Amino acid sequence: MSLKIREGEIIFILGTSGTGKSVLLKNLVGLLTPDEGEIWIDDEEVSKFSEEQYLPIRKKCGMVFQHPALFDSLTVFENVAFGLRRHYQLEEKVIREKVEKALRLVHLAGIENKRPGQISYGMQKRVSLARTVALEPRILLFDEPTTGLDPVTTTAVNQLILDLSRELKTTSLVVSHDMNCALSIADRIVVLDKGQIVAQGTPDELKRSEHPLVKDFLSEVLSA
Amino acid sequence: MITLLSETIAGLFIPPFRQKEFVHQLYFVANRSLLIIVFCVCFAAVVTILESSFHMKMVIQNDSMVPGFAALLILRELGALVTALLLSSRVGAGYASEVGSMQITEQVDALRMLGIDPVNYLVVPRFLACVVGGMILTVIANMACIFSAMIVSQSYLGYTPSMFLTSMHRFVQFKDIIFATIKGASFGGVIPLVACYFGFRCQQGAEGVGRATTNTVVVASIAIIVIDFILSYTFSYLY
Repeated sequence: MSLKIREGEIIFILGTSGTGKSVLLKNLVGLLTPDEGEIWIDDEEVSKFSEEQYLPIRKKCGMVFQHPALFDSLTVFENVAFGLRRHYQLEEKVIREKVEKALRLVHLAGIENKRPGQISYGMQKRVSLARTVALEPRILLFDEPTTGLDPVTTTAVNQLILDLSRELKTTSLVVSHDMNCALSIADRIVVLDKGQIVAQGTPDELKRSEHPLVKDFLSEVLSA
Repeated sequence: MITLLSETIAGLFIPPFRQKEFVHQLYFVANRSLLIIVFCVCFAAVVTILESSFHMKMVIQNDSMVPGFAALLILRELGALVTALLLSSRVGAGYASEVGSMQITEQVDALRMLGIDPVNYLVVPRFLACVVGGMILTVIANMACIFSAMIVSQSYLGYTPSMFLTSMHRFVQFKDIIFATIKGASFGGVIPLVACYFGFRCQQGAEGVGRATTNTVVVASIAIIVIDFILSYTFSYLY
């Protein structure tokens, strides 16, 4: 596949399960190694990078995983502060401010001292988002950010992706099954099938697509 | 596994050093396992004394060597081996399921995304705690085992504690205690390495975590027995 993502763009990657969407995201940040091909981030070809070489790449990319991936033994505050402490030599006061700001962004102020096990799954996902956003990455990668969430939280998370991308001027790459959300907030939508791009374009262009898989996705939105 | 071992050993010298996590793990390994290990090795000591006495009486019609022989067997094999096998079930299974769960819920990937080496963060403190914990537990297990053997010798075979200690003194050398401690450290080191190896390779779902846990207990137990043979063979040249 060949895919170019422009700076500041919100791009949705849709496709059925097992088609390689999450693999694509993980390849971008070196969590998986591609069998072949090239991956360029800014002006660097990163596919052959070692774990050490990936560190600066990961510093500019934030990833929200399919699972909340919070560290169970740490409080919400410690989870969000984790990356800040690792990447930057900041005073405790500054870390506290940044953590509180990130939690406010995801509408979760006041739960700093709770542990992941004491909050709901939806809240855990938003804390995970806060942990990523606290580092102020230039590129945000979302792996099914709304899977397992109720409709109200889903709408809130989608709005959050839009707000973050517009406010922080980040490039957002969202892996999802949610065509409805993609049509409402994406700048561009890419549809994958069996590891290949079968359709891509703006939401309006996708609506006119004749590809059966795209039609299937669209029919679900229309029927809903 | 060799890569994991070399990365872990290198990680021992690479900051940040997680002292708090080391202490927490040492508490989990040593303190939480102490009662189970002492309980089990005491029973193992009773069996050793009774069986040795029975067979010695049968073969040489005399069991006067039982205390010394049992003390030697305890120090050279029983104490360290039983401790390690119990640790592999309790600590190894715990670590494998913990790291396995972290792997399948993408916590390990999250660590890597946050610029943290999972080996340095997860394996190194556990490895160090198990090495130190293994040594401490082996020493305590040996002491408990010998004490228990002494009581059984007195109550069933009629050897007083002073007779037991005199006999033990004749058989046991200071080297035996050192070698037992080395064995304890080596067995302790194997357990977190095997557990984290299978934990990092854990497949999705409860079945994956279960398989990682089972593999850890089986492989760690086999590794402990093989290492025990290698160390015993090596030490035999040092007597």
